[in-house]
Amino acid sequence: MLGYILRRILSTIPVMAMVGLFVFSLLFVAPGDPAALIAGDQASPADIERIRESLGLNRPFLVQFGEWAWRTLHADLGTSIFTSLPVTQMIGQRVEPTLSLMALTLVFAIVVSVPMGVVAAWKVGTWVDRSIMTFAVFGFSVPVFVIGYMLAYVFALRLDWFPVQGYTPITDGLGPWISNLVLPALSLGCVYIALIARITRASMLEVLAQDYVRTAKAKGLGQRSVLFLHALKNAAVPIVTVIGIGIALLIGGAVVTESVFAIPGLGRLTVDAILRRDYPVIQGVVLLFSFIYVLVNLLIDILYTFLDPRIRY
Amino acid sequence: MALLEVENLQVHFRTPVGVNRAVDGVSFHVEEGETLAIVGESGCGKSVTSMSMLRLIPEPPGKIAGQVRFAGRDLLKLSDKEMRAIRGNDISMIFQEPMTSLNPVLTVGRQIGETLRLHQGLDAAAAEAKAVEMLTLVGIPAPERRVKEYPHQLSGGMRQRVMIAIALACNPKLLIADEPTTALDVTIQAQILDLMRDLKHRVGAAIVLITHDLGVVAEVAERVMVMYAGRKVEEAPVRELFSNPRHPYTQGLLGAVPKLGSSLSGESTRLAEIPGQVPSLTKPIQGCVFAGRCAIATDVCRTWAPALEMKAPRHVAACHYALKEAVAA
Ligand SMILES: Nc1ncnc2c1ncn2[C@@H]1O[C@H](COP(=O)(O)OP(=O)(O)OP(=O)(O)O)[C@@H](O)[C@H]1O
Ligand code: SF4
Ligand SMILES: [Mg+2]
Repeated sequence: MLGYILRRILSTIPVMAMVGLFVFSLLFVAPGDPAALIAGDQASPADIERIRESLGLNRPFLVQFGEWAWRTLHADLGTSIFTSLPVTQMIGQRVEPTLSLMALTLVFAIVVSVPMGVVAAWKVGTWVDRSIMTFAVFGFSVPVFVIGYMLAYVFALRLDWFPVQGYTPITDGLGPWISNLVLPALSLGCVYIALIARITRASMLEVLAQDYVRTAKAKGLGQRSVLFLHALKNAAVPIVTVIGIGIALLIGGAVVTESVFAIPGLGRLTVDAILRRDYPVIQGVVLLFSFIYVLVNLLIDILYTFLDPRIRY
Repeated sequence: MALLEVENLQVHFRTPVGVNRAVDGVSFHVEEGETLAIVGESGCGKSVTSMSMLRLIPEPPGKIAGQVRFAGRDLLKLSDKEMRAIRGNDISMIFQEPMTSLNPVLTVGRQIGETLRLHQGLDAAAAEAKAVEMLTLVGIPAPERRVKEYPHQLSGGMRQRVMIAIALACNPKLLIADEPTTALDVTIQAQILDLMRDLKHRVGAAIVLITHDLGVVAEVAERVMVMYAGRKVEEAPVRELFSNPRHPYTQGLLGAVPKLGSSLSGESTRLAEIPGQVPSLTKPIQGCVFAGRCAIATDVCRTWAPALEMKAPRHVAACHYALKEAVAA
């Protein structure tokens, strides 16, 4: 077990290296001359040349990548072309709202969607199942910003239950922090809930037909133990897998959600950086998101071994 | 009053091609401590009969009717909660499929202990201790190690032993064993049967034993019920049935079986093959259910269904032409 976990952790190194190579190449595959890009529209050819020199852009690609990787490993992501601030500092200022939003959405989505899928499978073919699945199709097909604006209109503008927009740091109190995040998390969570609920239902349907579920009933166990212990634990692997893959959905959705609810997070930072072609910032953000994705999926892979004793590597 | 009295049990399944009358009006009883064997070809409704006693038939598509009186209470009328208090406690069941009947992601100890915690209120430690004890009882070596293992680490025979341990953990009054050995290989079959015979004397539970193996019936059961196409066609004490089978179907089943008392080798004691097809359960059957395969069937058989009739003391059969002893009238 320990050996497996160690090997699995080590195996993320080449993955992150590939991600790094990709992120670094962004600057080179983008149309135009990086030096000219960085220098801006008003720069003279001499300025561009000077920047090329000073950034080392005239040296071989691999050398540049090596240096960049070395700096990145030392938590130095360069400086923003636009603000001249260190990228790590800019990300640091924006990371809390985004991580808060993602974590809250994740927890909320799992807590809602898994029981939904379990109940749908248990009540398969009934109106309960059909309503849940209808919601899932709906959640899947309506874009995040539509749900976001709808929720904001009803629950913030009309009912005034939650703030319309903005963000309050967690250090200002749990209440304000949550109340600012409820609507964004709901909007962002819809797709995710739909996805997880569907997979949970499918996986549970398969498990509920198994002989050991009948054994569990024959022992006199109640419906809840049968469903949530005996069946769900067996159905967990696909569910957990889709939760991990869905992190990518969350990251993409967070960018949109942040602009709908005016949350000063990484999403906004990313959008601004892209509009300004602030490459070091773009690179930093992409790297961070990739890292989160890889990390979550690493945790999930490790979780498998606890969920299913038959999994041995 | 018998421990278990099943009366006019009907289990019907709604299917796309019509209603499948898997069990159609079966009655029988089991006395305390008695072993009743149910035999019959594949698909005749043995598993459905046994599972409907614990109400384990999925409803829908299934529908159970009739009465299943256990210690005087009709199980079919109990609430779900009352029924759960009986399952695994007063009545337990061993299934036909040892390889898949245990939960693959829970330890063996947990799966045995669960029943004890549920019905006897033991705490985790006491339940595990009792689980070790149960594993010892069913003859699993190194039980302290095995309780911590998962089903995939055990062989088929061991898994069936674990199932037996689970079933016996709460000292049930009735044990339903649905072909407990069919899926195992011959030597393991003999071991499991030895175990069951041994436990029968020690535990004293009544047993409903479903099997294809007439050798097993001869050695373990006191009475035998023969099922065909969802109905009971004959029932008699085991010696009486083997020496004087009255129903042509039973006679056919016994055709290739060696004399009573032959060893439990498991090779030649299987039910004999009877030529012909079992009638479709989704269509109403006119006359005798066995008429299509019966060598001595007449127009009478094809028109009127024979009723179950006492043919000898404690011996009933459903056949117009079955011999009837004068004393039985
Ligand atoms: N869930 C179900 N839905 C529809 N039909 C079913 C269902 N379960 C059982 N049946 C039908 O009930 C009939 C009796 O099946 P059963 O499993 O009781 O046979 P069996 O005597 O146990 O056979 P075997 O010796 O092969 O185990 C079969 O025709 C089967 O198709
Ligand atoms: S009633 Fe007729 S068809 Fe049926 S078993 Fe007897 S002899 Fe055969
Ligand atoms: Mg069966």
